[in-house]
Amino acid sequence: MSERPDPTEDVRRLYEDAEKRTADAMEELVKRDAFGELLARATENILALTRMGNDVADLVVRNLRLAGRRDVTSLGRQLARTEDKLEQVLQEVERLQEQIADAERSSASNGTTRRRSTKSSASK
Amino acid sequence: MNPVEQLVRAPVAAVEFANLLLTRDDAKIGVSPKDVVWTHRKATLYRYRSTRRTHALPVLLVFALINRPEIFDLRPGNSFVEFLLEEGYDVFLLDWGEPGDEDADMGIDNYVCDELPWAMRETLRASGQDELSLLGWCIGGTLVAMHAALNPGGPARNLVLLTTPVDTSGSLYANWVGRDSFDPEFVAEVLPSVPGAGVDWANKMMKPVTNFWTTYRTLWQNVLKGEAKREAYQSMARWVADNPPFPGRAFSQWITWMYKENRFVRNGVRLRGRRVDLGKIDQNMLVVTAGADHIAPRPGTLPLLDLVSSEDVTHLDRPGGHIGLMAGSRAREDIWPDIAEWLEERSAR
Repeated sequence: MSERPDPTEDVRRLYEDAEKRTADAMEELVKRDAFGELLARATENILALTRMGNDVADLVVRNLRLAGRRDVTSLGRQLARTEDKLEQVLQEVERLQEQIADAERSSASNGTTRRRSTKSSASK
Repeated sequence: MNPVEQLVRAPVAAVEFANLLLTRDDAKIGVSPKDVVWTHRKATLYRYRSTRRTHALPVLLVFALINRPEIFDLRPGNSFVEFLLEEGYDVFLLDWGEPGDEDADMGIDNYVCDELPWAMRETLRASGQDELSLLGWCIGGTLVAMHAALNPGGPARNLVLLTTPVDTSGSLYANWVGRDSFDPEFVAEVLPSVPGAGVDWANKMMKPVTNFWTTYRTLWQNVLKGEAKREAYQSMARWVADNPPFPGRAFSQWITWMYKENRFVRNGVRLRGRRVDLGKIDQNMLVVTAGADHIAPRPGTLPLLDLVSSEDVTHLDRPGGHIGLMAGSRAREDIWPDIAEWLEERSAR
């Protein structure tokens, strides 16, 4: 006697099949030019609204004599530039340290050679 | 489980399901012990602690700008960093950090010509070596390739590029942001640091049903069956949801150069007046692609293999997605040993 199919299992299979088909259809949809165009235009609209909102908020905050986002950003940018310069100075210092170390090494090795040659000439 | 059992278990499962989602951000990720070696602006170079360094060449890990690099060290037992440390490598990680509006002036040139070489210099100083291996993933791979193209004969002996976008022609991204009506400069003007959540939303829209519905439906079913893997789900979900902003200038350059003009593969990118010529890459190179990668599809990476002048080029192709390939549960068996083996043969002093 064959086993009776489990209706729950059938429903699950049907659901997963429907979900897979929907996923494929949506993936096809987002690949379409029209979707890309819609996305680009919607992004532009959202950005334009964001800019208006930011400008109004900044105006209000500045008129209250409080530091607005632009002021904080400007301060942060100054700090970042200072850090850039500090990094460059550090690199220069490191480069000079290496140069000095190289020079000391080479003069030390020259000194050793000279001492050896002096010794050998004295023994003669 | 029959319908009655499911009905009985549903309230408990609902509480557990909600708990999994609500406590996602408590998941511990990126926990391998590490020390800060160097910082500049938001970038930080870390060195992972190890007592078993056996290979001379250090490995510097470089991730994308749009997600956190903790994916390299997702969770204990499923961490690429942990694996490399066990294999005896001296592992460094370059974390780009969380750029703010004050970093809007950071462009691709800053990352390729300043941050990356400076981090390499510090890696060499800390390790006491004069060469290293660079491992870049996603945009990190592209940045590494750009750097290598500008510095042939530089200190990078080996390049490992994982799911790296090179040629974007015909890609879904190019269809969305490559069109004239999408203006990345306007985006950067309004949003000096482009919110990572926006970029993440766009990434998820590539497979909307899978990302916005199937993930949660599958989780619910696993919870109902008592088979949900809490740590695995939460660590990955937390990482996916953590998207640092994209600095405005870098965003504008990335979209224009990669998707609007597809310059990189045509050797048309210029950084600080120097042309990024892929033909000048002469390092040993391992390119890894993923068969089901919809973010950096395999056909978009393969042109690199023919463009470089390296004599030692290896290509590994594995099943898996853009992230799952390296961070999935099978990565430890499927891909990490191959990468470690490739590096081992090229990491002697």
